[in-house]
Amino acid sequence: MLEIDGLRKRYGDKTALDGVGFTVRPGEMFGFVGANGAGKTTTMRIVMGVLDADSGQVRLDGRPVTYDDRRAFGYMPEERGLYQKMKVAEQIEYFGRLHGLAPAAARSAAAALLERLGLTERRDDAVEALSLGNQQRVQLAVALVHEPTVLILDEPFSGLDPLAVDALAEVLKDRAAAGVPVIFSSHQLDLVERLCDSVGIISAGRMVAHGPVGELREREGRGVLRVVVKNAAPGWADGLPGELTREGDRDVLLCEEGDDQAILRTAIEAGKVEHFGRRQPTLTEIFREAVA
Amino acid sequence: MNGLWLIAQREIRTRVRTKSFLISLAISAILVAALASLPKVLGGDHAYDVGVVGAAPAPVAQLAYERYPDEAAARKAVIDGDLDAALINGDRVLANGELDQRLGLILESVHRDAQIKAAGVTITPLRVESVGVDARYQGVRTGIATLIVMVLFFLLIYSAMYVAMGVVEEKGSRIVEILLTSMRPWQLLGGKIVGLGALGLINLAVVVVAGLAASSATGFAADLPPGMGGIVVGTVVWFVLGYAFFSALAAAFGSLVSRQEELNSVLTPMTALMMLTYVTAYFATVEPTGTVARVLSFVPPFSSMVMPVRTAAADVPLGEILIAGVLMAAAVVAVLMGAARVYRRAVLRTGARVKLGEVVR
Repeated sequence: MLEIDGLRKRYGDKTALDGVGFTVRPGEMFGFVGANGAGKTTTMRIVMGVLDADSGQVRLDGRPVTYDDRRAFGYMPEERGLYQKMKVAEQIEYFGRLHGLAPAAARSAAAALLERLGLTERRDDAVEALSLGNQQRVQLAVALVHEPTVLILDEPFSGLDPLAVDALAEVLKDRAAAGVPVIFSSHQLDLVERLCDSVGIISAGRMVAHGPVGELREREGRGVLRVVVKNAAPGWADGLPGELTREGDRDVLLCEEGDDQAILRTAIEAGKVEHFGRRQPTLTEIFREAVA
Repeated sequence: MNGLWLIAQREIRTRVRTKSFLISLAISAILVAALASLPKVLGGDHAYDVGVVGAAPAPVAQLAYERYPDEAAARKAVIDGDLDAALINGDRVLANGELDQRLGLILESVHRDAQIKAAGVTITPLRVESVGVDARYQGVRTGIATLIVMVLFFLLIYSAMYVAMGVVEEKGSRIVEILLTSMRPWQLLGGKIVGLGALGLINLAVVVVAGLAASSATGFAADLPPGMGGIVVGTVVWFVLGYAFFSALAAAFGSLVSRQEELNSVLTPMTALMMLTYVTAYFATVEPTGTVARVLSFVPPFSSMVMPVRTAAADVPLGEILIAGVLMAAAVVAVLMGAARVYRRAVLRTGARVKLGEVVR
């Protein structure tokens, strides 16, 4: 279990993080969303130990994370970095060695990842000869080569074509299924909604919402009540809150507040109720609401 | 330590494979070989060509004998300028016009020796004892010192530049962010310095071998002063110390910028210090026993080049060399610690150039 607790970080008089905290359980895929400059990258860098927090703590299984713990983490920074002139397979092996793998283990892990990511034929090409999408795959392989115990990926999907997105998503799901906590940030909220078990929304250095996607929907949005009544007499909804529109012989009432049971009773008396329910907000709506 | 070796290995493997490394190695070897053979090729200290008809006199270092069948042939060769003189039957000399004065003295003494020997008298040659400074090898020693200055300067500046470029490459491409999640900054910095330093040593070894091979091929090796082994070992040790000092500076300054284009300006203080060291060392080849050379051979980082020059060009007591070595080693440790500090704080701050003041506090 990876716990991030009360992280604070200032750059001069600018506050980057103001008490960021959340928890990612083993096997959980955590989507980290927020506007540009909200503090996602800073948080991830602190988790990886690349940056020191002014205060707060990162804990793994209840203990503060140590340097040796972090050597077993997998990290894909926002600013991609590879040795441009080094060969693909050699590079992945090299990073495997740096993370403590024996030469033979690094070689076989690199070969397996290349196979998995469809790069086997490019193994002896220099990285600079690859397309950006393929370079991104190599970057991912570098983060995965040592079978990390925690995965931290900063914008792993940006710049990928839909097929590459699917391939990457599969790999991440695999790692999560193996019990690894996975954190990734993204601006593609539909993707986060589809892949993640939990979501954290950060705004101006504070967590404004986090938790399982379903819970967030109920807690944050509650949803707009939508009532559709057929053949109702005009003026039936005069005493009710919300907004009434007429579509043919149907009245559609949308309201955000008021006693839903009372509204239902009024609607039943007015005509034939065809639909009564709360519309689930999308993650995008939750996000807009949360950071507004 | 393991991380440090992996980094060093990668540096060596990547550089050794490049064409530019092999080419620069070949060029430096050829250059040094050429410089080492220069004194023999240009040297005015050559032997006289003397034609011999009849019995040959005893061999003398300054004379190269060439046999001729008869006087006419020898005479023709003298007139054509192929010979400086010809010795006929051991008692007559043919010269083209006036005989070279020094050659005349040598021939006269050879002739005299032969007659005395024939009379059954044994000659004991004069023994020469120097009561002043042993200046026999002064010219050669100055030459070697000059060569050391050039080789050290080029190797130092070239290796340090590679360290700085490597640091900027990793910072600019942000690889450093991944690297630093699997190792400490000092391992990364140390690995780079060790790896590129090993390449510098390889280069130095090639240069030394090329220089010695060229001087023995041209016969110049016979003129080398005693204690050449010590000079070579000393130069290698001073190279290691100087390299550690300047490469640490290069890494610290390099970590302040994110783009190779900014490297030259940010490295200016280091290159200026290096140039100054070079100039003082060059000055020391001219006046190896002067006060300036003596004093600066103790002051780091000048000592890294001035001391090997002094030891090559003149005799320096071992104690002085050791003191200078200890001082330089202490400076290296201090610079390495400072550089590691600057590097650790600056290398992740990408974007605009980091001010040195912000990271040394």
